[in-house]
Amino acid sequence: MIVTPKPREQTRARYPDEEGYVERDGVRVFYEVYGDAPTTFLLFPTSPISHSRLWKAQIPYLSRHFRVITFDPRGNGRSDRPDTAEAYSYWEFVEDGRAILEATRTETAILAGICDGGGWALMLAATQPATALGVVAIAPCLPRLTPSHPNYLRYPSLEPLDTDEGWAKWNVHYWRRDYRGFLEFFFSEQVPESHSTKHIEDCVQWGLDGSVEALVFSDVEAPLPFASEEEARELCRRVRCPVLVVHGELDGCQPRERAVAVAELTGGTLVALEGAGHLPQARHPVKVNGLLREFAASVVPPKPR
Amino acid sequence: MRACQPSDDGHVEREGVKLYYEVYGSGEPTVVLLPTWSIIHSRHWKLQIPYLARHCRVLTFDGRGNGRSDRPTEPEAYRSAEFAADALAVMDATGTERAVLVCLSLGATWALELGALHPERVAGIVFIAPGLPLGLSDAKVSDSFTERLATTEGWAKFNQHYWREHYREFLEFFFSQMFTEPHSTKPTEDTVGWGLETDPETLIATRLGSSAHGEPFSDPERAAELARRLRCPVLVVHGDQDAIRPLANGAKLAELAGGELVTLEGSGHAPHVRDPVEVNLLLRDFIRRSRP
Repeated sequence: MIVTPKPREQTRARYPDEEGYVERDGVRVFYEVYGDAPTTFLLFPTSPISHSRLWKAQIPYLSRHFRVITFDPRGNGRSDRPDTAEAYSYWEFVEDGRAILEATRTETAILAGICDGGGWALMLAATQPATALGVVAIAPCLPRLTPSHPNYLRYPSLEPLDTDEGWAKWNVHYWRRDYRGFLEFFFSEQVPESHSTKHIEDCVQWGLDGSVEALVFSDVEAPLPFASEEEARELCRRVRCPVLVVHGELDGCQPRERAVAVAELTGGTLVALEGAGHLPQARHPVKVNGLLREFAASVVPPKPR
Repeated sequence: MRACQPSDDGHVEREGVKLYYEVYGSGEPTVVLLPTWSIIHSRHWKLQIPYLARHCRVLTFDGRGNGRSDRPTEPEAYRSAEFAADALAVMDATGTERAVLVCLSLGATWALELGALHPERVAGIVFIAPGLPLGLSDAKVSDSFTERLATTEGWAKFNQHYWREHYREFLEFFFSQMFTEPHSTKPTEDTVGWGLETDPETLIATRLGSSAHGEPFSDPERAAELARRLRCPVLVVHGDQDAIRPLANGAKLAELAGGELVTLEGSGHAPHVRDPVEVNLLLRDFIRRSRP
């Protein structure tokens, strides 16, 4: 058997000033704090397919202007890997974010997230309006708000299949057989921009830092946060703070209708990025960083609504 | 789109050949980013220009045979003395008495000519991945460039017949050897595009001119003689994974010129493109030391 040594973490342009864990129901979640500016950004992770390094192109820039908090999702990075599907429900990640704000004595923050993390940011803003100065939801995912992206509907994800072609790889049996193969396929689809080999390599490695079983729990088996489309819509309507939705036109994970619905229901603004895939923060960092900073300037101090 | 626009640009004409130059920034000293082999043009310095222009005055020009410069057809027009004279003409046209020279690969031959034969114009030289026949047990000289070969595998593509028939394929092969580092798709696309701005006949002429008898590119004695005559500060930067010009070229040049050698671990033949931060800092420090 060949054992591949785990690569040393890449050097960072900026290191955290503070780090720690919060613990909820025996699950420890790791967070980092950068800088000490008056306005805080809480950058949600996404599902355990990745961890907080997903924001590596934002942290050094944002922390020159803001206090930045990141955390690793349960199931990846330096956070624990609980072994029940329930522990990976959407609300658990939202509560982790809430606990980290409390642990870091953060009274108000701009909440930002990608994909699932965009959904978690919206859920925290809806349920704790006094905390949320604003929400930036990049390629947001709120299950049931709209139909899922067609890519996820091509094949059943739980049944064994007789093919591994294309989106047949979105299948737990394939994940367990060849997790790296799945990650390479998935991120090649999600970062379709040319010259993305480095971004894909990073994402694959961050996926391998986690575990297949955590992804099975979080992305397939965990209970959905909303019982119906209407519940998801109602959650959006409860968001009172300013909202910016960013969506790449080539996104192969979250459908455009979902981004449009979030913007409409929250009264937010939608910025569509031409030529961008699912991870514009990685592939178009200057553009996204500018949007984050402009958004922050527009909400601090918060405008009355 | 460029990160930094030239503050001045223009053409200078020398013996009927027009050369396009650009000036960026201001102050002392002036750094001339010399052309290299005309398979590419001055945009290959695009990651150096915006940075260096914040610290000093930067002068670039397209080498004859590519970019916005003329493309003479005869091989004699591409001897290293011609490129050296072009550099002096561009310096004269822009009021540049003296400059720090930075060169890549084949550009080492005209930097050597300038430094050895016009020392009053040269404040220092940085050689990046110098392409000189130095430090090798047997210099690779053969007729394989002009003869029709039985194979087109690998370096057999370095052949005038192949260039005429499969120019893009040659460029793709050559630049795959230039960029051996992972994640080089963009620089490869850039350089192939620049290569397509010239044509196989011009490139054949450049090759025949630079490898003619007595040229420092092909004659180890001539190259060594010029290197020994350098009196200015010299820095040689060479990647240890250079697949086009071995590190031995750079090491021997540094030794002969009494210069400093910086070896870049993992770098290929264009470290200024693939490791721009490291190279830019080396350039900045070198330029600072040579400030009057």
